[in-house]
Amino acid sequence: MPTAAVTAGDGPETTAGREALRKLKSTDPPLYLCPSEDLSKAARLASEYLFSSLKPYTPKSPFSHLLVNGFDAEQIWQQIDLQTQPLISSLRRQVKKFEKNPEEIRNLFNLGEKDKKNDGNDVGTISNGDEKMENEEGFDEFEDEEMEGDDDDDEEEEEEEEEEEEGNAHEGKEEDGGGGGVEDNFLKIKELEEYLEEDEAREYGLKKEKKQGKRDQEDDNDKEGDDEDEDDDEDEEEEDDELGVMGVDVGEDDESGEELENARYEDFFGGKGKMGQKRKSKLLHGSDNLDMDGELSEESSDDEKNQSQKKQKLSTHEKELEKLHSTIEQMEKANLEPKTWTMQGEVTAAKRPKNSALEVDLDFEHNVRPAPVITEEVTASLEELIQKRILEGRFDDVQKPPTLPSRAPREVKELDENKSKKGLAEIYEEEYVQKSGLVSTAVSISDQQKKEAGMLFKELCLKLDALSHFHFTPKPVIEDLSIQANVPALAMEEIAPLAVSDAAMLAPEEVFTGKGDIKEDSELTQAERKRRRAKKKRKFKAVAAKRMANKVQHSSLQNRVDGNEES
Amino acid sequence: MEVENTSSSLPVKPNFQPLKAHEISSGQVQFRKVPVPPHRYTPLKKAWMEIYTPIYDQMKIDIRMNLKGRKVELKTRPDTPDISNLQKCADFVHAFMLGFDVCDAVSLLRLDELYVESFEIKDVKTLRGDHLSRAIGRLSGKGGKTKFAIENSTRTRIVIADTKIHILGSFANIKIARDSLCSLILGSPAGKVYSKLRAVTARLAERF
Repeated sequence: MPTAAVTAGDGPETTAGREALRKLKSTDPPLYLCPSEDLSKAARLASEYLFSSLKPYTPKSPFSHLLVNGFDAEQIWQQIDLQTQPLISSLRRQVKKFEKNPEEIRNLFNLGEKDKKNDGNDVGTISNGDEKMENEEGFDEFEDEEMEGDDDDDEEEEEEEEEEEEGNAHEGKEEDGGGGGVEDNFLKIKELEEYLEEDEAREYGLKKEKKQGKRDQEDDNDKEGDDEDEDDDEDEEEEDDELGVMGVDVGEDDESGEELENARYEDFFGGKGKMGQKRKSKLLHGSDNLDMDGELSEESSDDEKNQSQKKQKLSTHEKELEKLHSTIEQMEKANLEPKTWTMQGEVTAAKRPKNSALEVDLDFEHNVRPAPVITEEVTASLEELIQKRILEGRFDDVQKPPTLPSRAPREVKELDENKSKKGLAEIYEEEYVQKSGLVSTAVSISDQQKKEAGMLFKELCLKLDALSHFHFTPKPVIEDLSIQANVPALAMEEIAPLAVSDAAMLAPEEVFTGKGDIKEDSELTQAERKRRRAKKKRKFKAVAAKRMANKVQHSSLQNRVDGNEES
Repeated sequence: MEVENTSSSLPVKPNFQPLKAHEISSGQVQFRKVPVPPHRYTPLKKAWMEIYTPIYDQMKIDIRMNLKGRKVELKTRPDTPDISNLQKCADFVHAFMLGFDVCDAVSLLRLDELYVESFEIKDVKTLRGDHLSRAIGRLSGKGGKTKFAIENSTRTRIVIADTKIHILGSFANIKIARDSLCSLILGSPAGKVYSKLRAVTARLAERF
């Protein structure tokens, strides 16, 4: 049941609104699961009433009153959201202000409120007021969710839970400075204050300023996880000590922060009772021991005690050794495990995770020569080569290999276009004779030509050899029966070449005897000319007479023969 | 003859000589008469002895010239060895009359397988006037070189007498020569005929 409202609303409307609120509150939660018009109407009325009651505190809201008729749940929610957002921020600001200056609160509330029960406890009034505000806000949120519940039930239940959490978190945070009126069993403000003082005294000067903020957060979380157990308190103090000693390392803080971010609801709010406490302590030790998730045993606290004691006594050298040992341990552990796929020998696609080859820089042989990069220098060099070759005329043309003659070239019989000298009968006769093999005569035109050619070449060779005389070649033996008169009986080898030597020299008498016409025709005198002519005539006459005599002999012989035949 | 002695012994086989020309015709003489065309009259006179000698001496056939009838008459003698001699002689004389040389025609006397084939240009293709003249010109060629080429390559002898063509040679050679001449008549150039001739004669030469 909400207490007397701060705002002064219109009479009938406020009563209606309150009635609606009462109704909503009185209904069983399961009834909200089924859509009912009464509930929806009540919800709308209630939200309208709340909206209008909050309106004086939101100077910037565009709506004078909540528009409900004919509007979607989403639209109504948006309107409420528009109102509450600035309201929440303004309230926060105010609370912070009051944190700093507690006197103002007194002034404000002495002026504003007169129906207060606790005048002395300003903080209480404030807290009450805040509570109310917060409650109303919480209710706002709650009822909005209830309206939406008509439409989507399951989702809103979850949202409700979340928003309750947020609301509680808000409350937790907002009440840093203020008193602990929240009934959560986690936050005891006196203890908080004591702890803060002790901590600051202990750790002042050892830490950097930055970490204090984080420290505070951790402290808050510590508080939330606190039990009445002294052990845990001690643990947390020790944890703080450890963290303080190691505070030089930024990394550890980061790690612890990360660990705390990963903390779950159960860790803080004891979803599983004591186990939650121990988990919490574990998270704080995250910087020292990485795999504590599996170990929920009581040993953890003992270990922590021992370690903390050790670390206080170690020197820097020993710390380095410790580090070395830890790295060695890690490496040994890695060696025992199966190797990563990159270190194994042959790995098929099935043995390695998907798309893992894309991330690894693989090195494999390319059997193809990489394409040459064409630069200006390359082209210039090529052109130079081409020009040089053109000038030389040396083109690397493909030459046909010489085909080996498979058989001897046939003698092509040429067509003789002259009248054949032999008769047909003779031709056949020769053919027959050749076939039968009586007389072997290779008489063909090509042979004759070959003979002639051979003779000519031999003559030429002889003459050339005579000029050079490097190789002595005797005269070629030509078989022909001709009588040469003026040749020496013996032909001796001469050192001097034939052209120069005078072995074949003729004697002057052999060149010219006294006989014959010495004088030329032009040199003759008349008388000598006559003498020559007379001589010629006499010779001719003698020859003619001889011929006639032979003819007469012949004819006489023939006549005799004829005569015999006739007879 | 009595077969007295035994059944196995047969009488001696009689050995008959081939019949002589006279005996075949039972004593009658056989004639052949070869007419002499006027343009062959003077060559006959010039070459008479060359014709007469082989016929009379080696063939043993009587030969005479009938001047009035312008014929050469051939007659068998009692000592003519073979009846075919007369026919050979008649063919020889006939070949001379066609226009062949005596030395070429004598091959008829010496070889059995030689024949003379005659055909006309109009048998191959009907040509008139200038075309005919050109055809004749094509056949003989310049200075007779085409004709001699065919003669030499095919071992034949060819006589082109106006529109008549006579070929003397063996059967296969006559065929080749005839094909060449026909292609020439039909119009193919001499070069083409030469190439064909070359191919054919090469084949012929290979065979033998």
